[in-house]
Amino acid sequence: MTKDEMYQKLADAVVDMDEDLVRELSEQAVAEGIDAFEAIDAGLSAGMERAGKLFEEEEYFVPELLMCADAMNAGVEILKPHIQSAQTGQKHKIVIGVIEGDTHDIGKNLVKLMLETSGFEVIDLGRDVPARNFVEEAVAQGAEMIMVSSLMTTTMDAMADVVTELDARGLRGKIKYAVGGGPVSQGFADKIGADGYSKNAADAVRLCQRLLK
Amino acid sequence: MVQIYFRAQDKTASVPEGTTILEAARRAGVIVESPCNGIGTCGKCRVKVCGSDREKLVCEEGRHHLSEEEVRAGYVLSCQTKVYGDIEVDAASTAAQNKSLKILSDGQSFAYAIKNHITKRFDGEKTLVYGGDTLLGEEPGDTTNAVYGLSVDIGTTTVVTALIDMLTGEELASASALNPQSLHAQDVLTRIKFASDPEGLRIMYDGITEEINRMIAYTAARAGIRTENIYEAVYSGNTTMIHLATNVDPSSLGRYPYTPQITGGNEIPAKMLHISPFGLIYLPPIISSYVGPDITSGVLASQLEKKKGTTLFIDIGTNGEMVIAKDGSLSATSTAAGPAFEGMNITCGMRAGRGALELFEVGDDGGIRTHTIGDTAATGICGSGLLDIVGELVRTGVIGANGKFVTPEKGSYPENLKKHMVLLEGKPAFQAADGVYLTQKDIRQVQLAKGAVRAGIEALLLSQNVRAEDVDLVEIAGSFGYHLRAKSLIHIGLLPREFEGKVDFVGNTSKSGGKAFLLNTDLRRHMETLAGKIEGVELSNREGFDKLFLSALSF
Repeated sequence: MTKDEMYQKLADAVVDMDEDLVRELSEQAVAEGIDAFEAIDAGLSAGMERAGKLFEEEEYFVPELLMCADAMNAGVEILKPHIQSAQTGQKHKIVIGVIEGDTHDIGKNLVKLMLETSGFEVIDLGRDVPARNFVEEAVAQGAEMIMVSSLMTTTMDAMADVVTELDARGLRGKIKYAVGGGPVSQGFADKIGADGYSKNAADAVRLCQRLLK
Repeated sequence: MVQIYFRAQDKTASVPEGTTILEAARRAGVIVESPCNGIGTCGKCRVKVCGSDREKLVCEEGRHHLSEEEVRAGYVLSCQTKVYGDIEVDAASTAAQNKSLKILSDGQSFAYAIKNHITKRFDGEKTLVYGGDTLLGEEPGDTTNAVYGLSVDIGTTTVVTALIDMLTGEELASASALNPQSLHAQDVLTRIKFASDPEGLRIMYDGITEEINRMIAYTAARAGIRTENIYEAVYSGNTTMIHLATNVDPSSLGRYPYTPQITGGNEIPAKMLHISPFGLIYLPPIISSYVGPDITSGVLASQLEKKKGTTLFIDIGTNGEMVIAKDGSLSATSTAAGPAFEGMNITCGMRAGRGALELFEVGDDGGIRTHTIGDTAATGICGSGLLDIVGELVRTGVIGANGKFVTPEKGSYPENLKKHMVLLEGKPAFQAADGVYLTQKDIRQVQLAKGAVRAGIEALLLSQNVRAEDVDLVEIAGSFGYHLRAKSLIHIGLLPREFEGKVDFVGNTSKSGGKAFLLNTDLRRHMETLAGKIEGVELSNREGFDKLFLSALSF
């Protein structure tokens, strides 16, 4: 098998949610001396990107997306030890969490998963997180971006406080800020002065890629 | 300042430039339905702007809810459209549709003796009126034969008031209406937000009070009694509705740890109601922030704690509230199902009013049978119709276990159903009636809503350590639930298959339980003690709830 064929097969197996096949192919890739970093990047991640697209086209729903991610992670586990350290490079760091007052985090967890499978390093602050903590943590960890979600109309207004915090420290625009969640819209993001909004987990990946380019 | 003229209502608002049409309508006293309270997500506040006036507008986002046809016809979302010049607007009156709303006003009950909190004694000159042991007031002459009370069920969408003769227990008259608060904010959370400032709370409180007073006047006239002889009202409703109806700031319910400001289980003066000047309101005990007096009333009406074996009591609506009873041990929870069951966020969704497709069945030959409220041509799909359509399509294989439409080419379902599979804006959709479609996105909304309820059921079963097959009886309460069919609930997996043959629709137990609270003061004390013993299961803090929810999404 050529390496391009291998990448294609890995990607297909991720899209097909075939965890066993991903494992098998990943081991084969290692045995054949195929570059592990590229196998993840051009194989598994590319498959995940296609899965994200299918999700947006309503072909796939949350359970399928999670199964694709499971399949991908099974492959990453096998391939990762074989990556040469020089290749890994610096990952973009993103701080993520659910805004203060809100404890609904299923959506946030999905965004986190999608970002991780797309090669971002995600620092998860969990739920019911005060606006100030997002900014403090981003500064402490050297993160380039903050992502905050809210499922409740009653808590979403506090998302504006992150902008205030960023402003107060002169970090507005330096640390990018994106919002999402059930009641949140592009209009709301514009109103509070966030740098971006994404309507779902797949869209969130593209947003981060765009903002951190 | 700019002038906005609302044609249908013949009213004009004079507002600063940059005001949205919705704000202007509210100031002019024109009711534009705005269930999401103006955040641009529900698409229900669309109004038509006349001709060239459109140039004086700036539309913000939110347009995704309007089809190209609507935009061409001049429709805008009133909450997202700012006005910069004098315009004329056509805002359709919602009254006609709301008048035909289906509201259920009866619920199951049980036998209890009349033992009123309100008692009267004639001392030869005047009548003394007591609330428990406390003298509330006195009336000239002998009025001991006139003691009336109210059971008021304050639903998020609808309000039902029953006038009851407290001496006989007989229901003399009842009335129902749309909860006027829903015109400003549809669901519980948007209502909490709306009422989180004093002005918003006043609008909510005044709105519901006015509506209840209207129903009091109406039922009293129907029964031919004097409103002064009404001495007590029981307010049954979810925790948020009870906060709003008693003028209590509900903001803390909208933020973790979601703490109620009142606990219920007490009588308060009813100064705002047009009843006896020393009338009272009894508030049944609140179990938790999202399991309110309506459920306490339901537990009472169903006599859950007395039932042998395991019973699951569920009120399905925007929130799915549920209580499980296993030989007298009770736990309760609530899940956010979202507004899909009320027809919101559904492409052709609508409330259960005239023109709503409410029943949908596929025969063995693939023939479709439907029923529409008002027996007219279908204009949309209400909650029960939505669950029927999805349930039947899952059963017949038009929708796969993963929630995806199976294309006619790949599917092995009846030919007739294949004819109903169409392309809508390039995407597969099912045509349920002329111009009424179910889209892939709609199915996803149903999956999310039913997944939330199902996950709540699974969590409750776990809390009592029982399996689905161990459940002896499933009681579905609430007026929405009453229009559902058990097989659809099972086909979509909102209920486990093991519940088949065990489902009972018990109706509006919030009202029937409220009536029991009104007529028997011992039941109040009993339920106040019981409510304290009901274990509240808080789902969002529960480990593994993610997994329950995700595995409940598929069909």
